[in-house]
Amino acid sequence: MSVGQATTQTPRRYHLLWGQTPQSFRIGLVILLVHLIVAITGPFWAPYGFSQMGAGIPLSGMSWAHPFGIDQLGRDVFSRVVHGSHIVILLSLSGTAIGLLVGAVLGLLSGYLGGWFDNLLQRLLEALISIPFLVLALIAIASAGPELSGNPILVVLVVALVYAPRIARIARAAAMDIATRDYVTVARLRGESAWSVMRRELLPNATGVLLVEFALRAGYAPVLVGSLGFLGFGLRPPTPEWGLMISENRALIIITPITVLGPGLALASLVVGLNLFTEGLARILGRTVRLGTQ
Amino acid sequence: MTGAAQLLEVQNLSVAYRQGSGWSRAVDDVSFSLRAGEVFGLVGESGCGKSTIALQLLGYRHLSMRVEHGDVLFKGQSLTSMSRGELDTLRGDRIAFVPQNPTTALNPGIRIGRQVAETMLAHGRIQSLESTAAISGILKLVRLPADPVFQRRYPHQLSGGQQQRVCIAMALACDPDLLVLDEPTTGLDVTTQEQIISLLSELRGRIGVAMLYVTHDLALLSQIADRIGVMYAGRMVEIAPTDEIFLRPRHPYTQGLIASIPVIGEPSASRSRPLRGLLRRRELPSGCPFAPRCDHALDRCATERQELQSIDDNRAVACWRWREIAPIAATPNSATMAGAIAHRASVLSVDHVSVVYGPRSRGFRAVSDVSFDIKEGEVFALVGESGSGKSTLARAISGLTAPSTGTVRLRGEELAGAVRDRSDQQRRLIQYIFQNPDASLNPRARIGEAIARPLVHFFKMDGAKARATVVGALDDVRLDGSYQERFPDQLSGGERQRVAIARALAAKPALLLCDEILSALDVSVQANILTLLQQLKSEHAIAMLFISHDLAVVRFLADHVCVLYGGEVMEIGPREQVFAPPFHPYTHSLLHAVPVPLQRPDRPSKASKAAEPKRSGAGCVYAGRCPWQIGSICETERPPWREGRGGLGLRCHLTLEQLNARADWPPPKQEGIAV
Repeated sequence: MSVGQATTQTPRRYHLLWGQTPQSFRIGLVILLVHLIVAITGPFWAPYGFSQMGAGIPLSGMSWAHPFGIDQLGRDVFSRVVHGSHIVILLSLSGTAIGLLVGAVLGLLSGYLGGWFDNLLQRLLEALISIPFLVLALIAIASAGPELSGNPILVVLVVALVYAPRIARIARAAAMDIATRDYVTVARLRGESAWSVMRRELLPNATGVLLVEFALRAGYAPVLVGSLGFLGFGLRPPTPEWGLMISENRALIIITPITVLGPGLALASLVVGLNLFTEGLARILGRTVRLGTQ
Repeated sequence: MTGAAQLLEVQNLSVAYRQGSGWSRAVDDVSFSLRAGEVFGLVGESGCGKSTIALQLLGYRHLSMRVEHGDVLFKGQSLTSMSRGELDTLRGDRIAFVPQNPTTALNPGIRIGRQVAETMLAHGRIQSLESTAAISGILKLVRLPADPVFQRRYPHQLSGGQQQRVCIAMALACDPDLLVLDEPTTGLDVTTQEQIISLLSELRGRIGVAMLYVTHDLALLSQIADRIGVMYAGRMVEIAPTDEIFLRPRHPYTQGLIASIPVIGEPSASRSRPLRGLLRRRELPSGCPFAPRCDHALDRCATERQELQSIDDNRAVACWRWREIAPIAATPNSATMAGAIAHRASVLSVDHVSVVYGPRSRGFRAVSDVSFDIKEGEVFALVGESGSGKSTLARAISGLTAPSTGTVRLRGEELAGAVRDRSDQQRRLIQYIFQNPDASLNPRARIGEAIARPLVHFFKMDGAKARATVVGALDDVRLDGSYQERFPDQLSGGERQRVAIARALAAKPALLLCDEILSALDVSVQANILTLLQQLKSEHAIAMLFISHDLAVVRFLADHVCVLYGGEVMEIGPREQVFAPPFHPYTHSLLHAVPVPLQRPDRPSKASKAAEPKRSGAGCVYAGRCPWQIGSICETERPPWREGRGGLGLRCHLTLEQLNARADWPPPKQEGIAV
């Protein structure tokens, strides 16, 4: 029999070529790179300091010297946006990342194990989700006590707490679907522990879903951080956090709309960039794009 | 016959699909024609372009597909240049389509009478959806009950066979000239398949509709088609009348395809030249696409394009060497080892096992009171149609579903019902291989990791040692060591199934549970895996529980056969005894339902009554469907277990002598068949 002949060819090598990546990935990557470069190098080239007053006439509009105008206190909004970049990115991403980690582990285990563990956890998570997220965040901050108020770490943990239950539900749904596949049954028949099944079989196949979820949440996280700041429970002024800036200048939007639009634009482009990038990344990782052969 | 008008002509048709930024050709310069009332079969392995052609006969258009060249003429009109409106009046009316999967083709929310009526209404054959007379006429045509109660049923209330009949009824509703059938029986049981085929040939005789029948199953095609076109990699390689294809196949690919069909009449015949290798679209030569797999290929084949040439009145072949290539001849049978098994120790014994889903007293009895033994190195086949409890039994043995009553013993040790309560050693000794290799490999794990996992888990091997062992495991299934770097989606279906087998073998099991492991594969790939299993059986002496609905494969591989129906054992025994009279009535109808090349069903189907198995109350589970039913005793009394010659056992009210007298299988052999 000639069974062997069929399969003695040298295997094809697979490479990921730039031209074959999804377009969303490329556009997203470019936007994100711009944001990252600004976040890292911004403090060195920003025209003014983030709390430097007297940069121009307060409440003046768009000009070459002050692209985003001057706020009520005479601070250059563009410089503040540049200075705030790393704060926003750091707080949102780390908060979402912790939420993703906790939510994914809980959700995947819950979906795979089922039974009383799943029941108990789901009821608990539903209870958390049923509380509007801002209220939940305020409860968490209030119970943390006044001495932690305004602490960036508390903000990060609050973001994680708000997101983890929502991410866990998505992860659970993904796990329930993947758990019915034969390769998971094979692992079960081998007697693998739930942890090992989750890590080897479920997690790699849920990355697409989880990354998209991460992007959506990370994109909204700056807004959550800003809302907390606005209510006096997040970062404190004069921190140049974008959400905080939007709420500071919001009252004067009729006089100088650019002071609100500027940080808003920065926020929107970060959200769009994150979404495009992670969606494209999910497609590459999910191996749904055709990779080049060489 | 040659004088008849051409109903349909496909002329130099080339169709391409969008692939990334370019176009890849799925159908390349194919021409054939169909006369009114003729049945033309289109056969080939998956990806050969046969379904693409079928869709073109319906004028199917899509953004990611284009007709690059050629035309399809229906009664002289070009389907490729027709407007959407013109197509709409033609489709469903003059040309009708029967899909592969009736379950997804029927709208689950609409009563079947209405679904049939919709087609007729759309083409003005009836004036209202309520005209039950017209609907019942068409339902009668496909041998379905025509009463209003039946018309008011929803698709989920019908069996798969009945659903496919409804699809055929919808296609026939407007009395079309051409019926396009795309694998209409692939998802159905062998007995249901037989009923559909006999219905189609009967319809053809009665209403004279022409058919284009697309399938991968050449043996099936021989029962219905007048002419057969064989496709390979988008090209038509041979067209010939059905008898000629089987008696004198000319193209090397056709020869290989025919040699790959397991034939139930010839047990253990290792055929001369089954196909080797598989179709790799990326690596096709500029000349004959089959050259890389062809045993007769010369240098010229790889560079020179082979056109389809007429070699006599109604045959054509695309091979310049067709004159030199001798039609294949069968070689003598390989020796069997059935006799030696009786004395071996038992690996697995299943003792009065029942599996009930739901509450024990009134739940669904998927498996009831099944007992058997599997000996060391034995291939034990479980046969039956879907719903007979084959897979449930395998799940009970593996510990995925705990048996409700009864015990399963592995080498004499009683196994816990649930897999998590078993020891690692017990889990290692029983390995499960699944039907669908696409689903049984983690798409995100490299082949090497997948095979190394049981090594690390069961034998606590470290990385380097596991890697070295993986190469050996791949070698066991005749795959190159370099495969361990690949991901599953870089492998073909057959290669993936080999990897799944390698992973199971890596655990050094005593028993392999093979659950329909061939049914998702193409026939030539099937033949290769079958040979591999045969080799593993002799090299490793592993016992296998081989679940299959394909009796030809079972007859080729199995030592012991158990026939299940409605969760009960109907017949059990060594292969030679099960495949020889006396037969249990169910075994007998299963055997008759298997399509044998060139043996057309000349009488109405044996399993004409499609009834659900009786799972409750007294009597025989097969009563109600049994062609040999002797009267009310079958309905009321459980049949006795009868022991026959050579370890055969079966459950029937008829005595073995009576069964012997009724058996008429195998049917008398026709002469000169090359298969």
